[in-house]
Amino acid sequence: MSAYSYLAEVLTDKYDVDGDKIRPEATLADLGLDSLMVVEFLFDVEDEFDIEVPDDRAKFETLNEAAALIDELIEAKGD
Amino acid sequence: MGRRVFITGLGFIAPHGEDPASVFDRVYQGDSAIRLVRSGTADFGSDLPLATVDFTLKDRIPKTQQLFMARASQMAVIAAEEALGSSGLVGESQAESGVYMGCGLGGAEILQEGYRTYFVRQSRRGRPSTVPMIMASGPASHISMRFGLHGPAHTYSIACASSTVAIGEAFRAIRDGYLDTALTGGAEAMLNDGSIAAWERLGVLASRHTDGAEASSRPFDLERTGFVLGEGAVVLVLEAEPALQERAVEPIAEIIGYGVSSDAFSLTEPQVTGQEAAMRSAIRDADIEREEVQYVNAHATGTPSGDPVEIEAIKNVFEDHAADLAVSSTKSVHGHLVGASGALEAAITAIALQKGRIPPTANLTHPDPSCDLDCVPGYGREVPGLSIALSNSFAFGGSNATLVLRKA
Repeated sequence: MSAYSYLAEVLTDKYDVDGDKIRPEATLADLGLDSLMVVEFLFDVEDEFDIEVPDDRAKFETLNEAAALIDELIEAKGD
Repeated sequence: MGRRVFITGLGFIAPHGEDPASVFDRVYQGDSAIRLVRSGTADFGSDLPLATVDFTLKDRIPKTQQLFMARASQMAVIAAEEALGSSGLVGESQAESGVYMGCGLGGAEILQEGYRTYFVRQSRRGRPSTVPMIMASGPASHISMRFGLHGPAHTYSIACASSTVAIGEAFRAIRDGYLDTALTGGAEAMLNDGSIAAWERLGVLASRHTDGAEASSRPFDLERTGFVLGEGAVVLVLEAEPALQERAVEPIAEIIGYGVSSDAFSLTEPQVTGQEAAMRSAIRDADIEREEVQYVNAHATGTPSGDPVEIEAIKNVFEDHAADLAVSSTKSVHGHLVGASGALEAAITAIALQKGRIPPTANLTHPDPSCDLDCVPGYGREVPGLSIALSNSFAFGGSNATLVLRKA
């Protein structure tokens, strides 16, 4: 599953975000996630892709940027 | 004298169920909610009599709120919803309400999962939400957030006396004019494997009785072996008399007194003098004569050493009148809900006053001579003139709390 489709899926399934609102340019705040939800969301992403998002990289704004970051970290992991 | 304080709503997530009237009926009939429950795994664990709650949240609250709620908080929020619904409290008076909840351990199962991740899976990657989910203050915070209650949201973590103190402090805040309404009670959910194992090691839990697991909680009985752990959440809506008159609501009962004391003696060994002090203080606070008290809902958990201490304390407080009192332990059928126990027992006492029906001590077939008061064995008793009752909670750590309730 691509990083973006995973993000879209977990946001609707676990965080109850309305699917119509999920767009590449949407931010997590736009989608109604508070700070605790955001750290939990990052935890989900790390678990799913077996990656670690360094604190200084967890500063993405939009879903598109988040997906690009995840793709990059998966690539860097090299498997 | 401050303002009069009435109970106007009740919400139960109890071992006997969720409808306060039917829970009371089963308690009145001495019908036990205690069952044999396996904890741990098939080859590592134990079978114990417990009073579990058949509760799943499903879609009763929004999914994103459920994500960060431990079981105790989930039960507390639903109990609060039921209590609010039954009181009819809405709008401005609801928004200004306070929340006063008792809770002993908080998110016990979440803490267990965090430790499992660290020690068993050898991973430092526990859930980020672990900390806010294990807080004992979770139930109070979630009730405040869920219903938009902007008054104080306080948590009292005083072991077995937690929710009695919570109710007493809410009562005082309303009586003294700091608040008009409060949601108060307790929540506890620590029937997870790790907690149960710890309780077992303490040696205070009841073993399965030969008549069946349901007969294992036996306060005042010669065959008592300890208490049966339970779980649940109970919320009471308290309102000042003026607020009540505006809404023309029918109160369930009135709270008229509250007393507390500390033994300053032992973590686990109860003291007659400390229990006496709490009861005396509550009776004085209620501004009644001790002879006016007709019923005591005892703390009596069913431990061999604890029950006679409370009986002695009651005898010392009431002297000649002790022989005229009805004293029962409803833990015989609903177990010991620890931080939620006082709230369940105060609620049962309130319904008892409303109905003129004293609930029994079930399984009391061979009375202990050292518990020689009228302990209402077996089945409840109709007492049409029932007017004033006490509800006792005496905690590990030596904290004692007593409420005085009156028929509304």
